[in-house]
Amino acid sequence: MPDAIVLSEFAGIGMPDWVDALIRLVFIVALMTLNTLALIYLERKVLARFQARVGPTRTGPVGILQSAADALKLLTKEDVRPHSADRWVFELAVFFVFVPVFLMFIPIPFTETWFIRDLELGFLYVFAVLGLNIVGVIMAGWGSDNKYALLGGIRAAAQAISYELPMLLAAAGVVMIAAGHLLDAGLVGGALNLNTIVDQQRTTPYILLQPLGFVIFMIGALAEMHRPPFDMPVAESEVVGGYFVEYSGIRWSMFFLAEYTGLFLMVMLGSTVFLGGWNFPFGADAGLGWQIVLTLAKASAMIFVLFWLRAMFPRLRIDQLMAFSWKVLLPFALLQVLANGIILAYGGPDWVVGLVSLALLVSLVALIYVLVRAKAGGDSIHLEPARPRLVTSTEVASGD
Amino acid sequence: MSATEIIFYAIAAVMLLSALGVTLAGNIVYAALLFIATLGGVAAVYLLLTVEFLALVQLLIYGGAVVILILFALMLTRARERPQALFGKSRPFGVLAAMGLLAGLIAAAVTTDWVSPADRDGIEPVPFEAIGDVIFTVWVVPFIVVGILLSIALDGAILLATPEDEED
Repeated sequence: MPDAIVLSEFAGIGMPDWVDALIRLVFIVALMTLNTLALIYLERKVLARFQARVGPTRTGPVGILQSAADALKLLTKEDVRPHSADRWVFELAVFFVFVPVFLMFIPIPFTETWFIRDLELGFLYVFAVLGLNIVGVIMAGWGSDNKYALLGGIRAAAQAISYELPMLLAAAGVVMIAAGHLLDAGLVGGALNLNTIVDQQRTTPYILLQPLGFVIFMIGALAEMHRPPFDMPVAESEVVGGYFVEYSGIRWSMFFLAEYTGLFLMVMLGSTVFLGGWNFPFGADAGLGWQIVLTLAKASAMIFVLFWLRAMFPRLRIDQLMAFSWKVLLPFALLQVLANGIILAYGGPDWVVGLVSLALLVSLVALIYVLVRAKAGGDSIHLEPARPRLVTSTEVASGD
Repeated sequence: MSATEIIFYAIAAVMLLSALGVTLAGNIVYAALLFIATLGGVAAVYLLLTVEFLALVQLLIYGGAVVILILFALMLTRARERPQALFGKSRPFGVLAAMGLLAGLIAAAVTTDWVSPADRDGIEPVPFEAIGDVIFTVWVVPFIVVGILLSIALDGAILLATPEDEED
């Protein structure tokens, strides 16, 4: 593996470490902002196409400046703090939401040599930092002194705790395989290093070995980021925007910055852990210039799927969401870890791991299908929202 | 004083102050939030000791899950309107227990043969693979026992949370 890029060599001038660190931080901030502006614009455009609309068109060519205009509006808006809100908790909550997402950026590899820092425990680090995000959400919910905000915050916390577990276990399956490969190569350690995990996928992306893991990871990412159909914490029709209902102006935009950066980082993580990150599929060697394109293309494809899912599904109910995580996803994630452990401990080849994971995925889908069919006939849980029946005028006239 | 020492004392100060805050804050939500700061300080000390694995596990388990569960339990009480009573009848016993713990810790700190910072260079940081090896080979029975204990606690919580009249 080539050495990590050193900025001072890159620029051809000597600079002290702290300047190097500062440049890296500024890079994260710039990327966060640009990424959020771009993603909001793209989401509106993509959703519009799904709904046979055209989306923003007025601001700039094909509406491309719409996000920039929105951002300017938000920055100049009045920043209101409710009189009864808890001052410290309300104002600090924003940072507790923003900073973990910012920190999550650090170990994500963009190419073989481009990352903020190469962390030996990068995989664990990402999940540890992600868990802190929820503290900010719950602070915002409680500090606002608003029932809807509190409900949203508690929903978000419940959701995040429930889905963190299957998501971490699903991704842990990949770490197990990577550790096995590394042991075969005579190396100990490094299986939690995101860059090493990508490096392991030069010939086979791990999605082929862990298809179930990938699906559970994607569902978990949707739930962690409060994306539809799992957006109960921020559902306008239920809790009027959830935990950030009392926030306005620049604080509100910080929440959105954190949310869309989180989305980007989730798909970057998925792309590095499951899709082979900067590797060209199936072993063709790509130059450094192509690596950034490949990473971003994989991440963009995943983001597109997430937008697609948003356009496709109605929102679930909070109890359905919790039941789905604890009763369906978690057992399957555990089964996968168990199966991986048994196969790898007895030295089974890779294709057995992939086949077992695929079989588990098929049984997961079959189980969901059977459950939904069974429930749809019963009276307890409808996955489709119950629609009020239209009363026709003749029925009204006849007094039915 | 080296930079590491300055950082250590800063972290220690934050930990002490927030730990005091946990015990003295009348508002139980403030106490829980300050508890996160204390646990974050512990994670930072682990980082200073170059055991990154423990630091991350500390954040993952305590910083995230446990504190959120505390917040859950407490935010559903009326913590906002009614400050909690800080001192009850058991105060002398609490003081006694705290003093005993403090005495034990001080005794341990004084009697331990600390490695001086000058000799520290020879010590290699413990790789997390070694921790995993030891947990799953030497200490596997305690590990399983702790796992069973946690499962029992979880089952108990589910049992308590389920309404009794839900028998149909």
